[in-house]
Amino acid sequence: MRELFHEIASTLRNNKLRTALTGFAVSWGIFLLICLLGAGNGLMNSFMGNMEDYISQSITVEGWRTSKPYAGYQEGRIIQLDQQDIRYTKGTQWEGIIENVSSSTTSQSATLSLNGKTVNGWLMGVMPDYMEQQKLKLAAGRFINPADIRENGKVIVISAAQAKELLPGEPAGIIGKWINLGAIPFRVVGVYHTDERDYRRTTPVPYSTYKVIYDSSDKIESITFNVNGPQTLEQHQAFEKAYGSGIKRLHSIAPDDNRGIWINNGYTDNMQMNKASRLIRRALWILGILTLISGIVGVSNIMLITVKERTHEFGIRKAIGARPGEILKLIIAESITITAIFGYIGMFIGMVACQIMDKTVGQRAVDLGVEKIQMLVNPTVGLDIALEATLLLIIAGTLAGAIPAWKAARVKPIEALRAE
Amino acid sequence: MLIELKGVHKTYNNGQPLHVLKGIDLNIEKGEFVSIMGASGSGKSTLLNILGILDNYDEGTYHLAGTLIKDLSERQAADYRNRMIGFVFQSFNLISFKTAVENVELPLYYQGVSRKERHAKAMEYLEKLGLTDWSHHFPNEMSGGQKQRVAIARALITQPQIILADEPTGALDSKTSVEVMQLLKRLNQEDGITIIVVTHESGVANETDKIIHIKDGIIGEIEENTRHTAWDGPMMK
Repeated sequence: MRELFHEIASTLRNNKLRTALTGFAVSWGIFLLICLLGAGNGLMNSFMGNMEDYISQSITVEGWRTSKPYAGYQEGRIIQLDQQDIRYTKGTQWEGIIENVSSSTTSQSATLSLNGKTVNGWLMGVMPDYMEQQKLKLAAGRFINPADIRENGKVIVISAAQAKELLPGEPAGIIGKWINLGAIPFRVVGVYHTDERDYRRTTPVPYSTYKVIYDSSDKIESITFNVNGPQTLEQHQAFEKAYGSGIKRLHSIAPDDNRGIWINNGYTDNMQMNKASRLIRRALWILGILTLISGIVGVSNIMLITVKERTHEFGIRKAIGARPGEILKLIIAESITITAIFGYIGMFIGMVACQIMDKTVGQRAVDLGVEKIQMLVNPTVGLDIALEATLLLIIAGTLAGAIPAWKAARVKPIEALRAE
Repeated sequence: MLIELKGVHKTYNNGQPLHVLKGIDLNIEKGEFVSIMGASGSGKSTLLNILGILDNYDEGTYHLAGTLIKDLSERQAADYRNRMIGFVFQSFNLISFKTAVENVELPLYYQGVSRKERHAKAMEYLEKLGLTDWSHHFPNEMSGGQKQRVAIARALITQPQIILADEPTGALDSKTSVEVMQLLKRLNQEDGITIIVVTHESGVANETDKIIHIKDGIIGEIEENTRHTAWDGPMMK
């Protein structure tokens, strides 16, 4: 092995300019590949990072507006979910599949006030599971608990943004304070975390409290639950169809009306996002590899010239006992060496470029008015990509060297000795 | 019998078929110092290539040290060349980017001998040929005679059955030619190495013990020349 590298080093030394020019094409290809993948990762991290805050592993069902006339009803009817839907969801036919069923009441806007300061909120009666299902993160205090539900407690959870407007300072400062919703005082038990790009204004109160004070009907706004069983996208779609048909029957919605109810499936949203990110990543790899191909063709070309120039030398080697395989090995190893050395230079520069990208564009957030989005989050490539790229380089080097090496190995020694 | 050729024919098919060797019968014993003489186009180079397993033949048989050399794969041919034959060429055929000692080592590299061992052996042979001081020089830093001695060291290092020298003095001046032929003679006498020299120079052939004349693809006269009286002029014209 050491011999082989010694041999290769001496030939490369003898052809410095040529080696450098060839190597540049490979470096450039790998550099672009790494930059593309880095930027792609950054975009995806940003996209996924922003989405992850909202997508939970649960399914939420809400009433919507029908789009087809059915059973004597006109189209355009607004569907209102109620307790019978909960009973259906909790029913025996879904036992083992649907769990943690919770619901939220209808909702209404409200004005929260404290010491003369006011802020808008969106009042909703919820169950304790709501926090997990909506991916709320507490900044202070606690969320509504089963005791609040049982006792119809006049407690409320507000967002950090609302807390700040009502009482400047740390969110914890408002815990325990009584704020007025219209004329009714509620005690703040928790503040959930929001950042500048967050526009949520929902102010959850206990489900039972809301029912008593604001809406004594059995109407509900949404049903949220976890499922156990469906794994693939197809299974989820089949589940949604089967589950949805029951709800449709309860509300006399046409079986083929896709608008009557809205099923928001967090599981499949995640799957589709993962699928999208896989597709993006694959597209970037393909682009990068296409760029790299020009570099590989360059190496192959140079190796062909090298082989032609060194035909006489190969004749000598064969005459003194080099097997064809030795010649083959020599050329392919040389090709891999050129590709690998310059590939690594390109990879290194590419990674530096990714770091620069991270420090500049990556730190900038784009203001979309309602929220701010960081365009690139950590636009760098990991060790896995470095390893994959190494593998790619070795394959590329082998491919680039294959035809020239085969030509060199095949030439007859007397013909090779005759060549000048 | 070290070399035994029986009815060897060779035809080149480059457009027009060219019948180069028309039934060669040749025996060479171990320890002989032989020259093959002939004009250009007589088939002597083809014969040498066949003897050196660089080329194949169409008919007949060729036994080298008891082994039938026929229809070998490239790989087998390479192994036989490596272990049984040492080549000395007219144009030296040293690898330009390798030093003298690296050139001499190369056949052992293809045998898989360790770096240390082959280096020691190469130095030993260079010393034998008086080139110790030149071992780390590149071929373009050496004279023709020195280069040919490096080539001879490379041919000797695997301790082959035969040394095949193709016009070994062809690129050398007369003084150096004499030195090289004397070196080959000494290797034959002192170490008992079988040497076959191909030449068209009568003076060079006269240095050998047996002269095989080849003409139009067949063996002509075989001169016994142990007294070196085949030529009375100077060795080089």
